[in-house]
Amino acid sequence: MDNRWNREYDAVVVGAGNGGMTASTQLALLGKRVLLLEQHNIIGGFSTSFVRGRFEFEASLHELCDVGSSEDPGGVGELFKELGVEVEWMSVPEAYRLIVPEKNLNVVMPFGVSEYIDAMERYVPGSRPAVTKFMDLADEVMRALQYLAESKGNPDRKVLMGEYGNFMRTTAYSLDQVCDAVGVPKAARDILYAYWCYLGVPTSRLNFTIFAAMINRYLIKGAYIPRYRSTEMALAFERRFRELGGTIECGTRVEKILVEKGSVTGIVTASGERIKTGHVLCNASLPRVYGEMVHPESEVPEMALRSMNARSVAGSGFVVFLGLDASPDELGLKDYSYFIYHDTDTDALYDGLYRLGRPTVQAAVCLNRAVPDCSPPGTTIMSITCLYKPEAWKDVEPKDYFKLKNELAGYFIDDFEAATGCSIRGHIEEIDIAAPPTYARYTGAYQGVIYGYEVDSWDSLMPRMMMMKDDIYIKGLRFASGWGFRCIGYSSALQCGRTEALLTSLDMDQEKGGAAS
Amino acid sequence: MTAKQLKIKVKGTLRDLLAFKNLAKKRMQRFRKAPATRYSSLHVNDLAARLHPASQNLVIKEVRDETKSSRTFTLAADREAGTGEIAYFQAGQYLSIRETVEGCAITRPYSIASSPADALNGFYEITIRKTDKGFFTGHVWEHWKVGRKVVASAPMGQMFYSPLRDSRRIVAVAGGSGITPFRAMAREICAGGIDASLRLIYGCSDEGDIMFIDEFREMAKAHPDRFSFVLVMSCDEVTLEGCEKGFITGDIIARHSDPGSDSYFLCGPDLMYDFVTRELVSLGVPLRRLRREAYGEIKNPSRFTGYPSGAEGKTYSIVVHGRGKTETITARGDESVLVALERARYAPPSACRSGECQFCRTLLLKGDVWVGPESDGRREADRRNGYIHPCASFPVSDLELELPTAGTREG
Repeated sequence: MDNRWNREYDAVVVGAGNGGMTASTQLALLGKRVLLLEQHNIIGGFSTSFVRGRFEFEASLHELCDVGSSEDPGGVGELFKELGVEVEWMSVPEAYRLIVPEKNLNVVMPFGVSEYIDAMERYVPGSRPAVTKFMDLADEVMRALQYLAESKGNPDRKVLMGEYGNFMRTTAYSLDQVCDAVGVPKAARDILYAYWCYLGVPTSRLNFTIFAAMINRYLIKGAYIPRYRSTEMALAFERRFRELGGTIECGTRVEKILVEKGSVTGIVTASGERIKTGHVLCNASLPRVYGEMVHPESEVPEMALRSMNARSVAGSGFVVFLGLDASPDELGLKDYSYFIYHDTDTDALYDGLYRLGRPTVQAAVCLNRAVPDCSPPGTTIMSITCLYKPEAWKDVEPKDYFKLKNELAGYFIDDFEAATGCSIRGHIEEIDIAAPPTYARYTGAYQGVIYGYEVDSWDSLMPRMMMMKDDIYIKGLRFASGWGFRCIGYSSALQCGRTEALLTSLDMDQEKGGAAS
Repeated sequence: MTAKQLKIKVKGTLRDLLAFKNLAKKRMQRFRKAPATRYSSLHVNDLAARLHPASQNLVIKEVRDETKSSRTFTLAADREAGTGEIAYFQAGQYLSIRETVEGCAITRPYSIASSPADALNGFYEITIRKTDKGFFTGHVWEHWKVGRKVVASAPMGQMFYSPLRDSRRIVAVAGGSGITPFRAMAREICAGGIDASLRLIYGCSDEGDIMFIDEFREMAKAHPDRFSFVLVMSCDEVTLEGCEKGFITGDIIARHSDPGSDSYFLCGPDLMYDFVTRELVSLGVPLRRLRREAYGEIKNPSRFTGYPSGAEGKTYSIVVHGRGKTETITARGDESVLVALERARYAPPSACRSGECQFCRTLLLKGDVWVGPESDGRREADRRNGYIHPCASFPVSDLELELPTAGTREG
């Protein structure tokens, strides 16, 4: 190592969020020398929690998809097992309660495909055949994706055509288009679409494949959360990563990713330390990496910039955290997960994400319904979440910020009370409100965006997988987060990090082979 | 139904398969059409940085003797040092001042005594009372003159009014220099920035040393519907009229407020904090109507029942991994781990010094610490994974810890 560098690693992972944690742990498991750098003083990124009074609030996780039980783990459950990361998982009792007051809609949907179809038939008589068809199709989608993963990007076309023809014929389309083709009745769609807000794109544009995979995994594997908030998950990764010999440094912001002739050569931290590496995996958001971190600027290929401008960033979060001084039973909070929408037209709901007025969408969680002892006896932890587009916050000045947060939080609480008939206001012992600047503050995420790019059909899972090689614009620079090829979401970010780590390891092997020949 | 029987077409088999085949091509076409520019706005990140700057470079604009033992310092943005504006805040929040005193890089939290509206006009005020053996306040009295540069955190802390939680009748219970956050709240309320009224119950021990007394009288006169106060004097001889005598008790609180509906905000020395909390609880005030400032640094841990007897007189060793090396330092049983680190010229990050803010969060590799009952702000997973907050942790055995890299400054 020449004296331009202070240290050297096989790989540097920028950001210890979901993708960064799986990426670094996977690489360490493969025996690579890995440095994990996190700009905040606590690891986890959005996977974190905070204490107010006698309550510890979950910062972001509603429910993790595809964990599964210990006997029947899903893909994410397997990931934790294979990486040797131990988490105490608590199961979420039901899929969701959906309330649309304006349409007199108030339904509780269970986990389990047949249970879900039965419940749908009760609420929407006659929906069974179409919804069954939809679920069968979703099942094929999931199996196809598993096949694609197993074939490591080289699927046999005959197998694809023979076994997964429906998957292939639907993957270029939106959820609405496929529901039209399947003939799902309008009233059943109103209920089926409830999870759309986890992806943040209206169903007219939301890609069918990603939605189908998500609902299939939720219904078959259930949903889980760590017993001690997502902090438990983050610290379990940290513990495992250290055990495997990884180096983790918090409070260390990466300022520059150095690139020479199209290849990564190292990074520079904010304190000026120069670290040599040929492989950087970014949990950091894509627009910030290409927009300001890659150095020199001239090393950012035009196509990388075009690829970002062609897409829209999904939402940032707005969360009202409530510590209540009565039990869930006393408050009448029967369920874990509540979706409360003011319309069944998701385009109209989505338009509301651009406005700082009365909200159109909320996803509320009563944590005690999955983790009964998450707060002291006789108390409840609740959170109410909505997405906002960064544009909505453009003209907000610091002097207006706190009042605005309180005003919006007031709407959310009022809406929740009106929709559920529960009385919350008189029981608030602790309240905190996170807004897009909060997410930007703690993670540095571009515009506080908690997701990544919107999953339109033209830029969903399949096209991103087909173009994984094309999407590498700088050799040695990969993205391990919700901005990556697996698209939006907690479980996607976790899995993305792991896959990108495995691909990085392959890159390393090829380099070695190349050097030897 | 098996997969073979299921046959879904969206626009017709051929068109559907063509759409599949063209996914990558179409995506590339869209990319090619988009402009090759970097992002044009980071307004959310910019707003976050204005609200929560990592640090604020300030300069002392004015020094005023508040009483015989206290001084008010007016602080403004130090543009020369790169701080363009001071951060806005919520009345009741504090600044963590970062100073090097006798070679030790330390922090001290001080409530902002001026109002948020004052911050929009470019200044903060903090009022400091000089304590007898004050390591820090002695330094301040000697060195803090007009023109002196001071580094502070962003505004922090959780003791502020929430219209969604609190009663619109706030009762502030203050002891001594615990008055400062309520001066901010009183100013904000009188200026109409908070739609609530403030009743102040203010405990003092010296008639000649009551902070902000003239200002409170004026505010009470000008805004009787919004602000009123009662002094509770604990000195032997009381000459001021209209005061309560003795210490602040439940009786006094009940005489001057409505424990059945008011929201109580509490800030003062630790003994008062413990006593008044018990009094309010016995008056039936539920926790949702009780806001308390962070507990403050524990000075005498042996007064707590859970503290292992004898530990306060002992000296322990701490093996510290950090700054690229490993050293062993000594620590006194009656001083927090944070103080031991600061004495040893480490400069670990810290802010609240009450176990609340997580700035000093540190991985304890070996040994045991005692944590104050009101100061254990750890998250459960942190507790289970061996993390401590050194500011609220006292050694009860030899320790080994890994210093956090975050914000570690040169000592």
